[in-house]
Amino acid sequence: MSNQGYKTFKGGIHPPYNKELASGKAITPAPIPSELVIPLNQHIGAPNNPLVSPGDRVKVGQKIGETDAFVSAPVHSSVAGTVKAVEDIKNFTGAMVKSVIITADSDQPPFEAKEMKPLADLSADEIKQIAKEAGLTGMGGAAFPTHVKLSPPKDKPVDSVLINACECEPFLTCDHRLMLERPVDLVEGLKLLMRAVDAEKGVIGIEANKMDAVEKVRSAVSAEPSIEVEILDVKYPEGSEKQLIAAVTGRKVPPGKLPSEVGCLVQNVGTAIALYEAASTGKPLYERVLTVTGHAIKNPSNFLVKVGTPISVLIEAAGGLADNATKLIMGGPMTGWAQEEPTANVVKGTSGILALPPDLVDVREEHGCVRCTKCVEACPMYLMPNYIVDAVQKEDWAKAELWGAIDCFECGVCSYTCPAYIPHVSYVRKAKAQIAALKKR
Amino acid sequence: MANNKFMTTVSPHLHEKGQTIDRAMKDVLLALAPAGVWAIIVFGFQAILVMAVSIITAMLSEVVVRKILGRKSSLSDLSAVLTGLFLAFLLPVTTPLWVVAIGAFLAVGVAKELFGGLGKNIFNPALFGRVALMISPLWLYIAKFVKPFWYTANGVNWFTPITTSINNGVAGRVVFKTLAGTTKVNVVTSATPLSLLKSGRMLANTVSGATPVGATWITSSGRPSFWSMALGLKAGSMGEVSVLLLLLGGLYLIYRRTIDWRIPVGVLCGALFIFLITWNHPVYQMLSGGIWLGAFFMATDWVTSPMTKRGKWIYAVGIGVFIGLIRLVSPLPEGVAIAILIWNALTLVLDRYVAEPKFGEIKKPWFNRVPVLPKPKPAAQKA
Ligand code: SF4
Ligand code: SF4
Repeated sequence: MSNQGYKTFKGGIHPPYNKELASGKAITPAPIPSELVIPLNQHIGAPNNPLVSPGDRVKVGQKIGETDAFVSAPVHSSVAGTVKAVEDIKNFTGAMVKSVIITADSDQPPFEAKEMKPLADLSADEIKQIAKEAGLTGMGGAAFPTHVKLSPPKDKPVDSVLINACECEPFLTCDHRLMLERPVDLVEGLKLLMRAVDAEKGVIGIEANKMDAVEKVRSAVSAEPSIEVEILDVKYPEGSEKQLIAAVTGRKVPPGKLPSEVGCLVQNVGTAIALYEAASTGKPLYERVLTVTGHAIKNPSNFLVKVGTPISVLIEAAGGLADNATKLIMGGPMTGWAQEEPTANVVKGTSGILALPPDLVDVREEHGCVRCTKCVEACPMYLMPNYIVDAVQKEDWAKAELWGAIDCFECGVCSYTCPAYIPHVSYVRKAKAQIAALKKR
Repeated sequence: MANNKFMTTVSPHLHEKGQTIDRAMKDVLLALAPAGVWAIIVFGFQAILVMAVSIITAMLSEVVVRKILGRKSSLSDLSAVLTGLFLAFLLPVTTPLWVVAIGAFLAVGVAKELFGGLGKNIFNPALFGRVALMISPLWLYIAKFVKPFWYTANGVNWFTPITTSINNGVAGRVVFKTLAGTTKVNVVTSATPLSLLKSGRMLANTVSGATPVGATWITSSGRPSFWSMALGLKAGSMGEVSVLLLLLGGLYLIYRRTIDWRIPVGVLCGALFIFLITWNHPVYQMLSGGIWLGAFFMATDWVTSPMTKRGKWIYAVGIGVFIGLIRLVSPLPEGVAIAILIWNALTLVLDRYVAEPKFGEIKKPWFNRVPVLPKPKPAAQKA
């Protein structure tokens, strides 16, 4: 598959998508486990302090972690129950994170909707406040606090809000399902986002492999002259912030700068819908839709899942693993984290759980770079992935920065296409850590 | 379910199907096949021998040198096979087999493995092997060319082995030994079109008769006609004679995205430019010698060509221009091999200093400047 003639960015790859495994499955609520582990830190930014202690009773949607720092997002309980412990638990990346362990009541009352102002009366600041209170973050993986994104510098006005509805990661279908099942909520959420940053234009960018979603969303925006649906080429990483902006508006965010530099704001489908829910009912972000899929999952599904649910519960609910499951991944296949055991817990940024059979796991010994330039051609940031690796091997951090280690957003395109099977991303992470440490001093 | 451990690796967890080193090498071998078959057709059974010796020696050299250096065997990536075939393509069919073997060892054992193995070599191994022979005392053995279909002459046939003898250490003479043991000396050697141009001589007779497209093979001036040059009825190194078949293979590689189209285009345009502004027989020059083999198969070698688009353009046009200039001013009739090797050496310089603009970069500098990071304190570095 190559280009389909819609708008797109330069570089990138066409992996096999395998979306059909789960795209036809309607969203269903996942079972609520008896015990949930809710990490207090699920976002990029300052860590939260626990607001509860062992023995405390918690309600659905009750705030359990918070901090005064601006770049942060509070965390809420996803169930009614009792706090069993507050302790360090390994999260999906293997890092130890302070987490609240909650024993869920066997009887779960529904969330009590709060009395809210009519949506049309909300001011920009009120919307930001709602986003902050609800603990909204990006829901595609990076989990950047939403209210921070909604507060661009004063001298950089935002004229366009883009909804990343590309879902360019193979296998995942949760955004696709959300667009099919809740197009109106998505549009309402986008309108709130536009109001929050005073943007005159909204664009929903959808990849051309989801034409049914395009149709649904188009009919939902038919009465909104300021909102457009833009069909985009099916290419990875179409949904990356900078690439999406380039594809839709032709503007390019300079290295090291934020989208507001070119007057744009990007949010994903899940976040827009969560903002709408928060604004209309006061519901914080304590549950999300994710896809449990892969050829080694017996019954691929799209679930509405409580944050803190152990992934083993979801795998069970999706029919369990096939015997030949070789790799278990939290997130998408391009940027997700491989799990040794199904013990991690769902966080706000978890978009999927993937189990791959051996024939999709092509792991080989790393060969030296043969300078084929495939990675350079495909890198959507126009970096020099092979030279970053070379610099890291020589521990020459200045060179690593020269070749672009800082600008790399770890999309994995380079390794995907590398005939030498070099895991560039692990080198890039090393370089980033070292450069940051050197600059701090 | 809970007690079996899953594989953990860093993302991404997918890999492009068939994107492997040996797949790329197979692609190139396939692309070379038409020109290889043509060489066997026009130069006889000896062509098979030269290719076989070259490939086998290349593989053996790789095995032995890697063993000595304590590296793991890498035969399965097929790069030694490819280098062996390339070297054979760069040699005339008259090259004695022991000279072929020395060349193949120089190519793989020295130019590739001693430089650090596939990926670390600075020079294109096959070209290195060929040029090393050219500047060595053995040059006499690789300087004699036969005309295509030489085996149709009296007393020889397709199977006739060729040996080259050296008389008084000067003139290379080609001797054909028939299977019966009778020898025919020097009956069918031929000058290449380029050496004809250099010396100002005319070609006595290459192949006569009508071409498939009407005109005769030889023009009235005694040089091979345009069509005989393009189709490969001319004297030359084994792999370089048929421009059309090389073009076919090259286009296949571009289609497969195994090579970057910028490099052949740059080389051909650079060379044509020089031939045109100096009015140095542009058509003959473009159709002769190793330009097409060089542009599509040698200059595009992954390892020895630049990484960036800008670097590739500079490199490719540079090679083309150098070919043009070498052919114009130096006593060497060829120039492709030398031009590519010179730019091979400049590749790392281009990569290091020619900047490729990053996504969204506003100033697009041409030169790379290494950012200055605070120096770590020696003690802190350990921590
Ligand atoms: S270098 Fe970074 S941004 Fe570029 S392709 Fe690789 S992972 Fe993606
Ligand atoms: S894709 Fe791999 S082998 Fe090719 S240049 Fe990049 S790092 Fe080197």
